[in-house]
Amino acid sequence: MSMMKRLLPIACGVFLLLVPLIDKNSSHISAYADTGGLVLLAFGLNIIVGYTGLLALGFAAFFAIGAYTYGFLASPLLGIHINFWPMLLVSAAVAAVFGLVLGAPTLRLRGDYLAIVTLGFGEIVPQVLQNLKWTGGPDGIAAIDQPRLFSYAFGFNPVPYYYLYLAIIAIALLLLNNLRYSRIGRSWMAIREDELAASHMGINTTGAKLAAFSMGAALAGVAGVLFAAKLSTVSPSGFDFNMSVMILAALVLGGMGNLTGVLTGAVIIGLLNFLILPQATNWMQAFGQLVHSNALANVDLNQYRFLLYGMILVLVMLFRPEGLIPSAVRRAELHAEQDIAIPEAAH
Amino acid sequence: MPDLHQFAQQLINGIALGGVYALIALGYTMVYGIIELINFAHGDVYTLGSYFSLSILALIPLSKYTQGWELWVIAIAVILLAALLCGIVGVLIERLAYRRLRNAPRLAPLITAIGVSLILENIMQIWKGTSEVSFPQFLPDHVHVLGGVGFHDRAVLVVAVSLIAMTALNMLVFRTKLGTAMRATAQDRDAAQLMGININATIAWTFFIGAALAGVAGFISGIYYGTTFFLNGYQAGLKAFTAAVLGGIGNITGAMLGGFLIGIVEAMTSQYISDQWTSVVVFSILILILVFRPSGLLGEQVPEKA
Amino acid sequence: MRCYIIARCVSVLAVITLTEVSLAGCSGNAPSSTTGGSVVKIGSDLPVSGGDASDGVPTANGVKLAVIDANKRKLIPGYTVVASVVDDAVNGVHNPSQGAKNIQAFASDSAVLGVIGPFNSNVAKAEIPLSNSLGIALVSPANTNPDLTKGSLAQQLRTTNPNEITYFRVCTTDDIQGPAGADYAVQVVKLKRAYVLDDNETYGKGVADQWAAQFQKDGGTVLGHDHITKGQQDFHALLTRAASLSPDVVFYGGTTSTGGGLVRKQMADAGIGNIAYFGADGVRNEQFLTDAGNAANGSYATVATVNAAKIPAAQAFLKEYQAQFNQPVGSYSANGYVAAMTIIEAVASAMKDAGGTFPTRAQVLDQLRSGKVHHSIIGNFSFDKNGDTTNKIISIYGVRSGGWVFLSQKNYAR
Repeated sequence: MSMMKRLLPIACGVFLLLVPLIDKNSSHISAYADTGGLVLLAFGLNIIVGYTGLLALGFAAFFAIGAYTYGFLASPLLGIHINFWPMLLVSAAVAAVFGLVLGAPTLRLRGDYLAIVTLGFGEIVPQVLQNLKWTGGPDGIAAIDQPRLFSYAFGFNPVPYYYLYLAIIAIALLLLNNLRYSRIGRSWMAIREDELAASHMGINTTGAKLAAFSMGAALAGVAGVLFAAKLSTVSPSGFDFNMSVMILAALVLGGMGNLTGVLTGAVIIGLLNFLILPQATNWMQAFGQLVHSNALANVDLNQYRFLLYGMILVLVMLFRPEGLIPSAVRRAELHAEQDIAIPEAAH
Repeated sequence: MPDLHQFAQQLINGIALGGVYALIALGYTMVYGIIELINFAHGDVYTLGSYFSLSILALIPLSKYTQGWELWVIAIAVILLAALLCGIVGVLIERLAYRRLRNAPRLAPLITAIGVSLILENIMQIWKGTSEVSFPQFLPDHVHVLGGVGFHDRAVLVVAVSLIAMTALNMLVFRTKLGTAMRATAQDRDAAQLMGININATIAWTFFIGAALAGVAGFISGIYYGTTFFLNGYQAGLKAFTAAVLGGIGNITGAMLGGFLIGIVEAMTSQYISDQWTSVVVFSILILILVFRPSGLLGEQVPEKA
Repeated sequence: MRCYIIARCVSVLAVITLTEVSLAGCSGNAPSSTTGGSVVKIGSDLPVSGGDASDGVPTANGVKLAVIDANKRKLIPGYTVVASVVDDAVNGVHNPSQGAKNIQAFASDSAVLGVIGPFNSNVAKAEIPLSNSLGIALVSPANTNPDLTKGSLAQQLRTTNPNEITYFRVCTTDDIQGPAGADYAVQVVKLKRAYVLDDNETYGKGVADQWAAQFQKDGGTVLGHDHITKGQQDFHALLTRAASLSPDVVFYGGTTSTGGGLVRKQMADAGIGNIAYFGADGVRNEQFLTDAGNAANGSYATVATVNAAKIPAAQAFLKEYQAQFNQPVGSYSANGYVAAMTIIEAVASAMKDAGGTFPTRAQVLDQLRSGKVHHSIIGNFSFDKNGDTTNKIISIYGVRSGGWVFLSQKNYAR
């Protein structure tokens, strides 16, 4: 039994590595890669919302900042062409700084006000990017450099990006897992449960909250670089509230505060959004043409995307707020009135 | 002086725009005052109001009525009906989506509210499509010029309805039994319950009234602009919330004041800076108020810790 | 403990991916990828939902009609032509990322030999690098931004193969459309004082800049140039500001979906309802008339293509379109038809040159680049070395009695 438990993850890891060889359709690989991007974003939001319990609604703004930073420093716009690999860290750092900028004044705000402030930030950033000429205006930045590994150029082939996303997700998993059980991770969770008590126990809540904002933003920054490189263009659309909602839905569906859950939620929402809904639309349309039904032949399931996210948010919050794959601690927190005794080996 | 004249003209624009925000803000402030929930879906109830109005108006053969007073009677009937329908929607939302989460950590109902907002928007998208929808401007509308500044009957209508709504609401909250129950529930829910107040009913009424006001705003906005759009609620909702916060959340007069102020700010930004910065300015105000003076202009000090 | 977490994560991820891959694998064999079957696919990437649908749908219908005709006339012997129409609008607005994904999806379908689209210039900016890199022909019926084909900006878009053209268009560009409109405004309508607005998007800003520059060159005065915000519904303050400068025309650079019609309607409230309104092809559609309502009369718009109703060869097309779709043509329906036809004809020629076998995308591209003359329902034209059409006709429309009426057209080919 334990032999199985050890072999299973290895087999799954190998499977993931082999996916591009099994499914040769490059637009599918592109969708998987984009799903990977959503996973990273969900990891980032998880630090702020899931671990620390601060509801940040304008998270897509950090995604935009990461993407645009890379765009500034690796495109013909300013004539600067810094290499992709160090830019991953540079963009993460820039996004982290903005995380501090947003976090600092909002430290003393309570939950819903914080949500609205971050929402306001999330509205302002794309509008500013669109208004200013030196950010490319509505055109955004085009012809952004794409990564090169030694002599191999990534170009527009989605396969290398897929592997890159896998690698970065794996690194992020390791880092976040370590963080979760580190001192700061436990501070975050203490703040989430009861901030007043946490500060009275000697936890530096200010520092911890700032750290949460900056680390979450940094992950979004990394996701931004990957996004900009893969598409080779960035424009202000696509970084709006709809994007923030998608990330939040991934988090809520999977189980906030719990890496496995977040991963699951992000993969589900990502595949739904990038692969399944468009495919299902094609299927229904083809089926409609087959049975000569005009209604079916013109159906567009993509229209119902946000209906679906909305229902996910409502239903999950009403019936299973701890998400699909909860941690026992989280479940206990959210069903406080049921007085569940928390087992020791919780995660 | 042409400059003062221009300023006055823009003031009128701002006040008319702000009147709609004020009506929506009233609903936000009431709900927040009583259960401390930012009802994200409130803006969409406003749009729903204009959609309901459209459907009701479609049943009426408007061309048969030409007398001014006939049209006003129709308008009032439509307003009341749309308000009623929106009120019911508001109560339903509270019952289905928020009631269970009344004692949950604050994150939960906020997330649910976002979900409800998305659902409403999508329903409206399917209902009337993704383009602007025409709204019949059937009320008599004349231009008046006062001291070189022109304004339409429609603008007066917006302001008049807002002020009437605010006055009526104030009377309700401070002079009736229901209002007292609302204030008691807002102050201390458990104590109110111990005093025999039916909390569920009180909260339901609060949602009903707030949503009904949003419905009225929807009709008024349809008349004023002549069009409606399924995503209007999102933008208008955010700005109306800014207005509620600016005026002091939980304070009815504050919501009204905030609404007009935000409308004026937008108009002035458009005149003196540039139209493209209006939303940046409004949301910056939102952030600055929440960070530096969360109690707003007329509100009481808001406790910091949840 | 920690390995357990990672193990769980990986397992879950793998299970989900496995499920989806099988699903996707199944679908991959459905309508799409039929290698070398007896089907030739023409892709179409246009905004067919949302605010732009009133432009995108008629254009897509033009593409569909071309495919129907191609099959009727057996233009590609032995093969059925199929139109694969996808949407690049997300939540009602055209979306560059979605467009890029659509191109990638087409590229991985070996039966697709060329793509029609996109409609919007900022979507084109995301798609051209892909079409260049993946070597698939992209013919737009409606992009008018000049930086997509001309100049250093265009070359930057061709990231992988800067000297190879894979993007073509059958409509002419804003550096011709804008000035044409301004010329008409000054010389024919005798307008002198303009207030310019745009929707702060690639297309809108571009055409507004071009129009304003020419207006000034022609002797007019540009009183001001302002940009609106996304999602804006209330233009009263903006128009009041414009009114204070006493313009005799308001120019709107942008599409109806960003507010073109609303601006026209609210001009009356600001006291300038009687002055002219000028726009470009983005507002020359039915939705504009709906949005502007009673205020629509007195509006003008240019369209970066010829008026199909004036061409005898197009009469059959117009009749067929009405019969097939039961609605009037849109500004770019004929262009959609022609764009699809250029690809179909290129496929047919390539197939002939290849001795009857299924041609490669490269062969199709060579045909398109050959500079040969296309005899089409919008006139005879060829693609120049940048991929632009040699047909530089701009037509002008005005709103009379609540409907768009053709006023004049002029050929700007130098």
